[in-house]
Formats: sequence, structure tokens, C-alpha cells
Amino acid sequence: MSMQAGTESVSELDLPPVAAPGSAGRGPRLTGGRLVARAAPLAVPWLMLAALIAAYSSLQEGVLSREQLNLWTAATLTLLLVAAGQTIVILLGGIDLSVGGIVSLSTALAATQLGTGGSRLIGWAALIALLGFAAGAVNGFLVARLRLQPFIVTLATWSIWSGVALWVLPTEGGTVPESYLSWVNREALGIGAPVAVLLALVAFWIWFKRTPLGTGIRAIGSSENSAYLSGVPTSLTVTAAYALSGLFAALAGLFLVTQTASGSPTVGNDFILNSVAAVVIGGTSLFGGRGGLGGTIAGAFVLTVIGDLIFALDISSFWTPITTGVLLILAVLANSLTELYARRRARR
Amino acid sequence: MTTFALRRLGQNRPILLAYGGALALFAVTSAFSPGFASANHIRILLIQASFVALVALGQSFVILGGGIDLSVPWTLNGSAILMTLFADGQNRPLVWVIPLLVALGGLIGLVNGLGITALGVSPIIMTLGMNVILSGGLLVYTNGSPTAAAPAFVETLATGRVGPVPYNTLIWLALASLATVVLTWTAFGRHLYALGTNRMVAQFSGIAVSRVTVVTYVISGMTAAFAGILLTGYVGQAYLGMGDPYLFASVAAVAIGGASILGGSGHYLGTIAGALILTVLAGLLPILNLNTASLQVIYGVVILATVALATLPGRLAVTR
Repeated sequence: MSMQAGTESVSELDLPPVAAPGSAGRGPRLTGGRLVARAAPLAVPWLMLAALIAAYSSLQEGVLSREQLNLWTAATLTLLLVAAGQTIVILLGGIDLSVGGIVSLSTALAATQLGTGGSRLIGWAALIALLGFAAGAVNGFLVARLRLQPFIVTLATWSIWSGVALWVLPTEGGTVPESYLSWVNREALGIGAPVAVLLALVAFWIWFKRTPLGTGIRAIGSSENSAYLSGVPTSLTVTAAYALSGLFAALAGLFLVTQTASGSPTVGNDFILNSVAAVVIGGTSLFGGRGGLGGTIAGAFVLTVIGDLIFALDISSFWTPITTGVLLILAVLANSLTELYARRRARR
Repeated sequence: MTTFALRRLGQNRPILLAYGGALALFAVTSAFSPGFASANHIRILLIQASFVALVALGQSFVILGGGIDLSVPWTLNGSAILMTLFADGQNRPLVWVIPLLVALGGLIGLVNGLGITALGVSPIIMTLGMNVILSGGLLVYTNGSPTAAAPAFVETLATGRVGPVPYNTLIWLALASLATVVLTWTAFGRHLYALGTNRMVAQFSGIAVSRVTVVTYVISGMTAAFAGILLTGYVGQAYLGMGDPYLFASVAAVAIGGASILGGSGHYLGTIAGALILTVLAGLLPILNLNTASLQVIYGVVILATVALATLPGRLAVTR
């Protein structure tokens, strides 16, 4: 009575993923099922955000104002930047847990190295961004070239960068130069700097999603094998996607220090789950290929508004992570159900 | 059946390698640090290793089945905090508190497992979400403030000894034997390896893949909860965040122990060696003038290196 299946690892053959049934021979024609599958992911998070804002404005005065927009954007931008990178990686069909370590390291370096301003500040800010990009590229290289599982690679680098962050800044603290803090408070035409960054991010995405890299990421997320066969440079694309995620995480850290005026070697851990939650609530499929930053923006704001709503309702703020966790799991469920529905419709 | 089981152990060269590594590391460290190999210090090392090893016991089962449990930090932390709250420094309530908390850990695992199998949520998302939900729940419950000291009995359990052997080590030994028997000689063990190797093939062979998967998460919840109780006894109190290092440490111990992170191969006996290596490494740090931050870096590097080494030979052939 022996079960040989246990000893011979069949999975080591590592067969390339087979294209999803129904994806072959699909034309550009929009059938009902595809239309639903395409519109629903974007409509759901934005409607959810609208409902939450409506609920909040019934409790609070002056919600629909420019000030509130500026406030909410400033409160959301760190998460949104991390989530923008996470969107790219999840579109690819991967996941990036290392953003936790990279955000922490970025704030730790910012709070210790930016100095008093001037050229040192600009040099270090650029270096921190570059470091994030490089850290992401290492993830991408390990995933793309050595074909290791994304979650284990980024789990390991999450640990590594957290350790380095603790080494740079053992406890919360450090200082950020006044000249660096002040740029966030600048306003033009009533629009704060965070809103300007958000608009820049949107502009980036509109450009990025049509570039060869942007379409390549989506193609790999739908089917890596088909993407490879149709000439997408898969290794390069995967490496670039993770590198961008690292870059966005570092930028998020550089923005976060303007809000806290100090660094923290562990603060990034909060952004791992939240970034994935923002992406998934935003309607991007964890299976890859479907979704984008449009939904992620709504997803990130949903999390901020929920936090404020909990505060306005006078509930302990400790409920916020619970709500986020539950919402994430519900969103994943809803996501897989629409995916299933779309596939069924397409198969008919 | 016995020969099959022994063959599986013999085939696991990584396990022997891990034990060799643990011994070599221990020898080198002892050479540089007088007193490192003293009976007293070995006892301390064994106790310290047991916490990682217990959390990694459940993690081994989960990883063997092709999953991962990222909810261990707050399962451990939750049981530690609730134990001090429920027992309130008294020994008597422990009669029901310890079984209740281990069962509660199992319940957390059950929810994880059902979310993954019945609802189809990916293990990473499900357990990461669970971890955050638990951390929030505990903050709500305790209002963010620290709790009472550990009852004397738990302290004895964690640090006391019978003759030369700590109780803690005896408990670990018993659980390790149980895990070894289950993995090596039971149908469940064979099903788990089959499941981790190829889920679809396992399903077509008539294995109740969902049930086996759920059980692995239940085991992981239970061992994390139990480790939390013992760790509180060792530290003397429970505090928020005490479980955080055990996520990386448990995964690293499994990876060093030679298990494939994709499931299907490995053994708890290897994980034990992994836990020993990590503990000796932690003891080596102060000697090398390194702080605990380096430990996190080492965990990460070790996970990457072992996973890469295990998969590299087959992967390099595939160049794209």
C-alpha cells in the first residue's frame, strides 16, 4: 500500500499555465457578459465610495468641500501610492508583500538622512526612490528569472528590508527638515499638493496602461504563456512591474514622512494588507489581467472614509483594521464570483 | 508501509543536511563563545527553539499541503493575551483556559481553512486578512493596554525542568513525535503529501482534499495558540506584538528544514533542525556584535537562499 505521488513531485515539471477556457478566439465584440464583467469592477468601488461619503456627510458638516477633498487626499495618498504599485503587480497575477519593508525603510532613511535641506535632501530623496526601484527589481528578477513564487520571494524581502529599516532607525523617531515638510502645504487654485500628486498619478496611469509595458503586464496576467508566444518579453516585463511596485512603495514612504514628520521602522507593515485591500476592493482581479488604477483609487479612498466614519460614529478606531480585513475577504469573494460569471457567459 | 515511510525519510537529504548544519553552527559558535555549550545554556537554547518549532509545526503541515499561514502572529498573540486575562495570575483557571485557547486557535484555523476551501479565497489573502482582523479584535478587547502577569504554572511549564530536561522540551518532544507519526505512518500524512504534490491528482485519487487542507490550518491555529501560552510563561507576561517575529521565523524554519515551499515534500523532523539553526543563529548575533534587526535580515536571506537552492537546478534550464 504505497502512494508514490508523495515522493515524485509532479509539479516540478512546472507546466506553463494553460489559457483559461473561453479566452481563445474571443473577438473584440462586446457580449453582455463581457460588458458586465468590464463595467462592474469599476462601478462597484465608486458606488461604494459614494455611499460611504453620503453616509459620512449625514453625520458631518461640510463634507463636500475642497478642504475635505484636500484632507482626504492627504490621508489616502500614502496608501494610494503603495496600492498603485500593488495594482501593477496584481494585474500581472503576482503579489508584493515586500512593500511593507520598503515603506518602512524609506521612512527610516528619510527621517535620518534628509539632513537640513538643500542638495543633500534632493540627493537622498532621489536615492531612496532609486533604492525602492532596485529592491523591487530584485523581487522581479527572482520571480521572473528564477521562477520562484512571488509570495515567498516578497515575504523574504519584506523580512530583509524590515530588518534593514530597524538597523537604520531602531525606534520611531528621527527628524525631517522643515523645508521638506513644507511642500505638502503648498496650494495652487485651492488644490493642495497631495491632490496634485494624485492627478499626476492618474495622468501617469492613462499614459502607462497603453505603453508596451502596460499592455504586456495585462497580457501576462491573463495568460503568461500566450503573452510569451505573442512576443511579450515576459522576464523584462515582470521585473519592471515589481521594480515599479518598489518605486511606488519608496515614494509612499517619502510622502508618509511629510504627514508624521518622523520615521518608523515598522510603519510599512500596515500597508501590506491595506494596499491589497484597496486593489481588490477596486475590482482588480487577484488572478491577474483584469482591473486597473481607476478602481484602486476608489478602493483606497473607501478605506480612508471608513476610518473617518468609524471615528464619526464614536466607535473605537481599533475597529478599522477589523473592517478592512472583513471587507478585503468579501471583496475577494465578490471578485471571484464576477470572474466566474464572466467565464460562464463567455463560454456559452 | 514502514519501508515506504523510512524510504521517504531517507530520501530527504535536505533534512540530514539541516541537522548537519545545525550541529556545525553549534560547534563553531561554541568555539567562539565559552559557556555556549554548557548544559545550562543548551537548555535555554532548547526552550527558545521550542517556540519557533511549535509555531513551525503547524506551519509545516500547512506548507506541506501547498498553503501558507500568515495568521500565526496574532493567533499566538491572542492566545497569550487571553490566557493572562482569563487566568488573572491564578493557576486554577488554567484547567479550562488552556484547552479553551487551544480550541480557539483551532477555530481560527477552521475559519481560515473554510475560507480557503469552501469560498476559494487564496491562502495569502485569507490568512493575512485573518491576522489583521485578530489584531484589531484584540486591540478592541484589551483597549490597547497590557495585561496581567503569567500564572506561575505556565512559567513552570515553560522554564521548569524534571532532572536535566526542561518540561518545555518534553512537551515539544511529545508533539514532535505525534507530528512525525501522523506525517509518516497515517493515511492523513500520505494524503497531505499527495495533496501538496498535485492537488488535482490527489482529488482524482479520491482524497478529500478540502478536508485535509482545513485540518492543516486547524493544526496551525492550535500550535500557534499553544506556543503563545508557553511563550507567555517564558517571558513572564503577554504584550501586543509578541507574535510578530514568529511569522518569518516559522516559514524560515520550514524552508531551512528542506520542505518545498510549494508543498508536497519535507518533514517536521527537518523543521526541527530549521528551528535549531535559527535559535543558534540568534545566539550567535550578540557574539558578532549584531542586533536583533540582523535576525530579520537573516530570516529573509535564509528563506530566499533555501527556496532558490531547492528550485534552482530545475529552473535554470527554463530560460526565457
